[in-house]
Amino acid sequence: MSRGHIVIEDVVKVYDPEGAAVMAVDHCSLEIEAGEICMIVGPSGCGKTTLLNAIAGFHDITSGRITMDGEVLCSNEKPKSTPGPDRIVVFQNGALFPWKSNLENVIFGPVMQGKLERKEALEKGRAMMTDAGVSGVEHNYPGEVSSGMRRRVEIVRALMNDPKALLLDEPYRALDSLTKSVMHEALLEIYYKNKVTIFFITHDLEEAIFLGHRVAIMTTRPCKPKKVLNVDIPHPRDYSVLTSKRFRELIEETNDAVHEEALKAFQAGEKEG
Amino acid sequence: MEAEAALGAGAPDATVALLRETTPFGEASGALLARIAAIARIARYGAGTRVYSPDDPADDLFVVISGRVEHVLDPEVGAREAVKRVARGGVFGWTGLLLGQTRRMATVTALEPTEVLRISTEELIRLLSSEPLEGEHVMERFVSMIQREFTVPTLLAKVRRLSGPLTEEMSKLSLTMYRMSLWLKSPRPYLMFIGFALFLGFWYLAVEVWKLPRFREMPGLTAVVKEWLSPNPTYGLSLYTEEYYQHIIVSIWRVAKAFLLATVLGVTFGLLLGWSRNFKEYVFPVFEMLRPIPILAWVPLAIVMFIATESAVVYLAFLASFFATALNTMLGVESIDESYIRAADCLGANRRQVFRHVIIPGALPFIFTGLQISIGVSWFSLVAAEMVSGQYGLGYVINTSYMMVRYPTIVIGMVTLGLVGYVTSALVRIAGDYMMEWRVRELALSER
Repeated sequence: MSRGHIVIEDVVKVYDPEGAAVMAVDHCSLEIEAGEICMIVGPSGCGKTTLLNAIAGFHDITSGRITMDGEVLCSNEKPKSTPGPDRIVVFQNGALFPWKSNLENVIFGPVMQGKLERKEALEKGRAMMTDAGVSGVEHNYPGEVSSGMRRRVEIVRALMNDPKALLLDEPYRALDSLTKSVMHEALLEIYYKNKVTIFFITHDLEEAIFLGHRVAIMTTRPCKPKKVLNVDIPHPRDYSVLTSKRFRELIEETNDAVHEEALKAFQAGEKEG
Repeated sequence: MEAEAALGAGAPDATVALLRETTPFGEASGALLARIAAIARIARYGAGTRVYSPDDPADDLFVVISGRVEHVLDPEVGAREAVKRVARGGVFGWTGLLLGQTRRMATVTALEPTEVLRISTEELIRLLSSEPLEGEHVMERFVSMIQREFTVPTLLAKVRRLSGPLTEEMSKLSLTMYRMSLWLKSPRPYLMFIGFALFLGFWYLAVEVWKLPRFREMPGLTAVVKEWLSPNPTYGLSLYTEEYYQHIIVSIWRVAKAFLLATVLGVTFGLLLGWSRNFKEYVFPVFEMLRPIPILAWVPLAIVMFIATESAVVYLAFLASFFATALNTMLGVESIDESYIRAADCLGANRRQVFRHVIIPGALPFIFTGLQISIGVSWFSLVAAEMVSGQYGLGYVINTSYMMVRYPTIVIGMVTLGLVGYVTSALVRIAGDYMMEWRVRELALSER
């Protein structure tokens, strides 16, 4: 079964603010296997979010093509894909609606699409929240629970739609390192239960190697894969992986590449500043 | 070493008395305490016995009857003082009440032969849910106990919300009323009275006793109060005259009309301005040019436009309100984080649903800020309009009293305006809190 197989072919994105063209993504090609966790690593502002926005349908592309399971999302003819519940984004700062309770947030997708009756949706929502270890906060507003819990509720909200792919945009960036480590295991646990394709953007190499089947290290502005690393540590993984020899080796293997790009991004930033 | 016994007859009184000594249950009613006592069991632990350890299931809540226990919180909890001794009236084992916690976070050991009450957390929650008003209060007291006595960080000390059909159906208004009764029991209203007393005292002394320059000519406190409370007022206006209420009602009615119209039109207009870029480009420059024109400058035109003075006055009060509401609503829509709209798109909401479920609730905090301003400027421009052209109303009272040298009546008109204005803006605030419970809760948490 091929579900959530995303192919990025030769995608170019040029921003053109007032005639000063900036190339954000440069002839980028990448294939994400169905059901794979693909980590995209690059320094902040390298253009990786642009790629995610193109898949999600928030921005158009200048040229190239992105398909999912053979279906064209965007191409030269139709530069902007349409956002939809088959690819759901989990945002950097979290985007649970603060005016709806956690449970109301969770059932938002199916109810809006008219896929489930409210009552069925509530039942399914409760069950999925329990499954993801966030029961007991159904009637709380997102602002009342910890940020780690909010992230989990947001992922449950996405999974309620039975998506083919989750697109995560540095979702754990704002969390402290302890909460982050808990969130990584929680994400894997959820992933093992619901095999979806995960397209995960981060600038944290350890996070990338710990979670991903593959890690794509991106060059900085314009953005394209510089090196794709196969993480041969078997899943399911838990936190003991972090201290394993293989994990350290992989970090060493890739650290230089990441550092080089970070340095480039830093210098480019200095020039602009 | 552990012995358990169900409570015999007669014991509940002692249990209720014990519960009254505790922080969380201290303010609960006798009836509620009796029901809690009914689900409590007594347990005994010998010196040195372990009551529970971290990661045990958090099932029961404990209240110490006699003896002492040592309560050691896990370092991970991050309490400021991890070790605590709990004696009679102390409550521990509250982990089960916390959001998302099902396992014990502490090690508890009896230091001497100890007798405790054990209350099942789940049963307690069910019981409290059946008395939502008191229940919420007990839960709030648990929060403060966990934070203060056990020095657990705020982030962790979030108790579960009482849920179930009862709480969901329970009107939020009754909760507001309950909070109000608590407020009356706190020192805050009395401080408020002291503030008023100081103000009135200064007025009295400055005008009537010290006869300070500038104040000498002002109507004194006693003159105003006497006039206000007099069944036969010298200048014809007091609490006992029908005319007084006529003026108030006319003014309120005008403000109500102006405010409602301004709210309906202003919110709609503001939502459109924020939602549609095209609409904004056509309309906003004109809007921004008209907005700074003071209301008094509109008076002549208003009189020309509306032959009837009544409509002219309402129109002027409406105009100021409308601008405040529309502008704030537009800013509210523009303040909504793009991510919320994108998230709704991802989740398959169509444009109409995004408007209904994201734009409107997202703009609500700004809209209510606008309405607070709007009700204020509505009174402001109403009085100005009534002073220029009116038949009745509080502004008219103030203006005619000035021309006819009825100084105490001026002050009566002013004070009445202050009171009525305060009540109307409080009503707007209450309506806002009622519609945005999420925000009230969020703000309450960040304040703690």
